Amino acid sequence: MTKGASLKMRERKQFRFPPGYGDNKIVSMARDPWWIFAYWEIRHDKEEDIVRSIKGDGDVPAKSILRVYDVTDVNFNGKNAHSYFDIDLKGPANSWYINVGSPDRSWIVDIGVVTKKGNFYLLARSNTAKTPRYGMSDKLDAEWMMPEEDYWKMFGLSGGFGIGKGSLEVREAFKKRLEEQISSAQVSSGASFYRKAQERKFWLVVNTELIVYGATEPDAKLTVQGKEIKLRQDGTFTLRFALPDGRQVIPVEAVSSDGTDRRKIAPIVTRKTE
Amino acid sequence: MPKGYLAIVLHAHLPFIRHPEHEDFLEEDWLFEAITETYIPLIKVFDGLVKDGVDFRLTISISPTLMSMFMDEHLQDKYIRHINKLIELSWKEIDRTRWEPSFFKLAHMYHNGFLECRRVFVDEYKKDLNNAFKHFQDLGKIEVITCGATHGYFPLMEVERPASVRAQVKVAADLYRKVYGKTPLGMWLPECGYNPGDEEALKEEGIKYFFVDTHGILFGTPRPRFGVFSPYLCKNGVAVLGRDMETSKAVWSAVEGYPGDYNYREFYRDIGFDLDYEYVKPYINPDGVRINTGIKYYKITGAGNHKEPYNPEAARDTAAYHAGNFMFNREKQVEFLQGRMGDRAPILVSPYDAELYGHWWYEGPQWLDFLIRKIRYDQETVALATPGDYLKLYKKYQILAPAYSSWGWKGYSEVWLEGSNDWVYRHVHKMTERMVEAANTYKNANGLLRRALNQMARELLLAQSSDWAFIMKTGSHVPYAQERLREHAEHFNELYDEVKEGEIDEAYIKECEDKYNIFPEIDYSVYSS
Repeated sequence: MTKGASLKMRERKQFRFPPGYGDNKIVSMARDPWWIFAYWEIRHDKEEDIVRSIKGDGDVPAKSILRVYDVTDVNFNGKNAHSYFDIDLKGPANSWYINVGSPDRSWIVDIGVVTKKGNFYLLARSNTAKTPRYGMSDKLDAEWMMPEEDYWKMFGLSGGFGIGKGSLEVREAFKKRLEEQISSAQVSSGASFYRKAQERKFWLVVNTELIVYGATEPDAKLTVQGKEIKLRQDGTFTLRFALPDGRQVIPVEAVSSDGTDRRKIAPIVTRKTE
Repeated sequence: MPKGYLAIVLHAHLPFIRHPEHEDFLEEDWLFEAITETYIPLIKVFDGLVKDGVDFRLTISISPTLMSMFMDEHLQDKYIRHINKLIELSWKEIDRTRWEPSFFKLAHMYHNGFLECRRVFVDEYKKDLNNAFKHFQDLGKIEVITCGATHGYFPLMEVERPASVRAQVKVAADLYRKVYGKTPLGMWLPECGYNPGDEEALKEEGIKYFFVDTHGILFGTPRPRFGVFSPYLCKNGVAVLGRDMETSKAVWSAVEGYPGDYNYREFYRDIGFDLDYEYVKPYINPDGVRINTGIKYYKITGAGNHKEPYNPEAARDTAAYHAGNFMFNREKQVEFLQGRMGDRAPILVSPYDAELYGHWWYEGPQWLDFLIRKIRYDQETVALATPGDYLKLYKKYQILAPAYSSWGWKGYSEVWLEGSNDWVYRHVHKMTERMVEAANTYKNANGLLRRALNQMARELLLAQSSDWAFIMKTGSHVPYAQERLREHAEHFNELYDEVKEGEIDEAYIKECEDKYNIFPEIDYSVYSS
């Protein structure tokens, strides 16, 4: 917590999330054209039910897995996926990044238990997550047609790579461009930017400042180097100057309120750096 | 007739950070810094252009959280206190730097700048900067558009997606209508994050266009005929425009971008860090942590740590030169594209975070000022236009289904979905699920129940801000972001439980309402299906 955080909040208690929601479910989300992310919450009693029915079937639970189905253009019923693959869950995971490796496909993730005999018992089934399309579409619009190479030229120009490149080069350049993606929203001050502060190794900085202070009659007029200075109520004053190398003459002059008395003192300060 | 159009889009956004329970709150300074360094300098550029009779067209997206903070009296008063302290500090600096002429001159520059900020803020726009943006919109100079209500990142709203996106869009459009007196023409999708189908929510609110990153268009279906140089229409008729990479690189890129020029002001040398601790103490965080004050005396100078004093005249010349270079390159770009667009004039869409201008790139507003003037007087190839202007030019646009994309690192959702922040979604999704369930269960609620449901909607929206996940990813201010998420989740779940049990504690609702008072006119029924 930042030190500036609310006292009221602190006195009350730390805010917190519920420890769980009592759900038995798994949710999948597409992160990019090649990866999806799944998180889940499994109820203990559901797990026990499954174990019980496995045992009832004369089998033994072997491991927990995610089963990832390619359900592109399929109304999935548990059996009609194009293909699937399994991921063994190790440790107490409650989420997983899944490398599906294929853009523009739909995915459903089951979480469940595989038995010694190789049977799968379902704990929960996810929503469908669709990975983004990646690459130029093969579908052409009859009304807006042009030669193949012209599409690639527009593609290259849009990506800022110019026009002289072939489709393969443009494809490569585009991939690189996304990896280097230069802008994403910034929180003002909160985040790094296009150019980070220089990392310093061992370093030393020395600067000097000069404090000039004094006092006179509270109602007198005071100037320092010709510039009028406001006195405090008791007639004292303090000035602070950044002191560069060289010689500074600092005439301080006080004139009484009726203008009849004056005093002038001019300290001279020299700074020399070696 | 110009041969092509340039649509500069500035996206202004800050998360809703308001802590009346504290006199000073570190993260509130983000707003104050942005007002002093970005919003007011931009407003002054617009004002100068209008006074000089220079015609211009820019698009500015103001996120609803920022709009709400502009209107908030508590934050307005805190800003005045903030700028008064800077005026005091810069006044001391004028004294302190008397023997160092190059700093002395800069101390004056800052002092005058801060005084001017206070004048513009207090006298000219009555403490609410929406008045400024509305003024320039009414004059026909800028097109103010909106953004997701709390800058929620749409692609990851996987649970109850339609209701979730609809609420972000509708609450934003309603606030815009209230403050700007009409329906917003366009919307900046938070983080440029687009998930196929999101355009439905825009259409329901009468929003005519939105933006996607370059690949959102290029990977769209069917194959886009004009690259990113023309708007397209989604099947439902809402227009979509893609970011032009060439103009993006010119400004954003670490290697090729203008803001890294050695004559420009160095962001990372601030007197809040450079000067004697006792001296700056009254102007930094009250707990004694050094922070940026905004007074910076050095130029970037070079790649190393050695820095020389900033020279405003040289920086100004550089900004003028860069503006000329940018304009020249746009002329060439347009001329080059012209023959490839059939009978159409290309549009170059150049979106930038507004806070880049002035806050990070100190000379950014000057550059924009020079650019606008040069475009107006020094050439005839390119004209400034807003998407709204351009969409009136032609009767037909190609129909396209854009691809899922964002303008984040790597072009998709990895910034907001990675090890540091992926745990967020199980909570925010659950809140969404509960919100939809409650909105469906308690239709036409009144009294306390209605207040509880409305406050739940506010807490959910605030929890959805993409900023929290982003902050966790970037690694600074992380505890604050985590605390905010926990707080909104706790408020939400507490209210949800009370609603379910039928025992609503008015004092608790009031506490939540007072603390998170955003969207006073919200109607939770936006979540019912």
